[in-house]
Amino acid sequence: MSVNDHTAFEPLLTEEESRKVIHGPLPPGDYYLFGSDACVEGAVFAGCRYYAGYPITPASEIMEKAAERLPQVGGRFIQMEDEISSACSLIGASWAGAKAMTATSGPGFSLMMEAISFALMSETPFVIVNVQRPGPGQGYITSSQEDVMQARWGHHGGGSLIALAPASVQEMFDFTIEAFNYAEQWRVPVILLADELVAHMREKLTVRPKEGVKIVNRARPQDLGIPFEKFLPYEGMVPPMPAWGDGYRVNVVGLVHHPDGNITKYTPEMHLACVNRIYRKIEDHLDEIAKVEGFFLKGCRHLVVAYGTTTRSAFEAVNELRVKGRSDVGFLRLKTVWPFPENKIRSMVGPLENIFFPEMNLGYMIHPLKEALRDRVKNFIPIPCLGQLHAPEQIIEKVEEVIGKGI
Amino acid sequence: MKHPMLKYLRETGLCGDRFPTIFCPGCGIGQVLNYTLIAVDHIIHKDGISRDRFVFASGVGCSARLTSHYLNFDAIWSLHGRAPAVVTGALLAQPELKAIVFTGDGDAAAIGGNHFIHVCRRNLDMTLICMNNGLYGMTGGQSAPTTPRGTSSTTSPYGNVENAFDLCELAITAGASYVARWTTAHPKQCIQAIEKGIRKKGLAFIEIMTQCPIHWKEDPAKMMKKFLSQAMRLVKGKGKKPPKRDQFWVGEFIDRDQPEWLETYQKIIDRFR
Repeated sequence: MSVNDHTAFEPLLTEEESRKVIHGPLPPGDYYLFGSDACVEGAVFAGCRYYAGYPITPASEIMEKAAERLPQVGGRFIQMEDEISSACSLIGASWAGAKAMTATSGPGFSLMMEAISFALMSETPFVIVNVQRPGPGQGYITSSQEDVMQARWGHHGGGSLIALAPASVQEMFDFTIEAFNYAEQWRVPVILLADELVAHMREKLTVRPKEGVKIVNRARPQDLGIPFEKFLPYEGMVPPMPAWGDGYRVNVVGLVHHPDGNITKYTPEMHLACVNRIYRKIEDHLDEIAKVEGFFLKGCRHLVVAYGTTTRSAFEAVNELRVKGRSDVGFLRLKTVWPFPENKIRSMVGPLENIFFPEMNLGYMIHPLKEALRDRVKNFIPIPCLGQLHAPEQIIEKVEEVIGKGI
Repeated sequence: MKHPMLKYLRETGLCGDRFPTIFCPGCGIGQVLNYTLIAVDHIIHKDGISRDRFVFASGVGCSARLTSHYLNFDAIWSLHGRAPAVVTGALLAQPELKAIVFTGDGDAAAIGGNHFIHVCRRNLDMTLICMNNGLYGMTGGQSAPTTPRGTSSTTSPYGNVENAFDLCELAITAGASYVARWTTAHPKQCIQAIEKGIRKKGLAFIEIMTQCPIHWKEDPAKMMKKFLSQAMRLVKGKGKKPPKRDQFWVGEFIDRDQPEWLETYQKIIDRFR
């Protein structure tokens, strides 16, 4: 152990071994894959070439896979000194032109809030995967959905961001690609709100041919023909973003700024224009961004709502209830949890007797839902579960307790 | 006559003037900027490196305001203490960049201490310029990890009870390739050190003792003169006598070839080519 270690570095992998690995994204086909691995494969597929992280249970497997895969595709992986620097390094990597990612869990996610806030203000795209574990504190190391509010409201100050909640290994792959697409299109940090179960699950993954998968790359001023002298890095709904080294000489700032990055001559009007835009660019485009899926909504009087891994139990419970004769039970699933698509949900759901919301927390997302539907729904009933996924029976039992058994 | 370094600054922009700068009269930070830009100008002209390959980063505090919007380069005014981490990401994404980090003593030694240690340990190819004024200037003259023991400040009204940090010793121990300390009263030496630091493969740490006449409540010219009397020149081959109270070593403390992160990692990437 020495800072003066001059031993020649030799990669611990022979050239013959290196020829056997996949030197690009996963080729099309069917795989039986681990959720964390699917997430990294999705990132590689989307074009992610920078990963920085710090080990934490239950997110370390994503980091380990990234360490293995990124150099294979010409990217770089670094193990940072903490989650603060991991997230901050994404800002630099993103401005240097790379699609960048990290993964963490609760305590590490808390440490990343400062960087998320800076990224919102400086409109820096990157992806943070939060493999949720229970809290508060060190909590436990099983599964949870307790960071769902933190993902949206944990950072200081305003701004709005996007969060997706995958429920399967397939979605760990698909939603990671989607997360990068959102980040690149809207110039925001995007949170993949996974949890311990979906990250540690093994099931089938189908990789489609590259041509069939939408990959978004950020708009760059040079591609739009904007000359250096006329380029305003912070103007327009989503401003084009050059990379450092492109010659645009962008001054990236986290302070309230004018469209050119100038921070002097502060006025309340300039403040409002700056912060309002980074909020509105997301909140005014809910229809484009938010993804909500409805099942059995026609004639439904009782609705079960879920997101992330709980979707699995909830959907099974709804199907079971319907088989048992409760054909008035419908199902709604939030694929994106933030921004919250109030109008979209209202356009899908009519007047209801009851909403049941199983969450792996004490009932968090039920609050924005209540706000959206309080004039149309009589009762909002949370079905909390901590540290583990609800069994479908648990949900069925609660629903039957309230609405009675099917005939 | 215009200052020759103004070509590297933005006096004005599309949304109006950016000058005058925020710095107080007599502040040493402008001097450090001048020394840095002269060194960068030398690199651009002597080494034929494009101006657009440079990227400047800073954290928060007075020193950080250098990159807030005055530079006519790619730049980021980032998070308090975290500029080394931000630049780590930038270099890994684009190793051709020439990164220069402006930091202060509070930024580098307190809130960014861990990032500072680890960026030195990795010996990433960047130049860290630390303006050490011995206190927190932007927030009003509070104690920093570099404030001398016994000194009073707004947060140590009865005298600072803590020991001061030697950032150069820290950088050497952590593994930086090049470490030097000068003061704002050593313009030539500062320029040479920064130039050398930029050319050096690996991490170059240059600490520049910088006067804050406002919070130390002293005349800036007197402060610079005092720097010259406080600065003990380290001469190679001579025994290192510990400096007396109020004195500090200046000079080039280390200039060595150490394994650099990007170069080492490249061997792994190349294995998959």
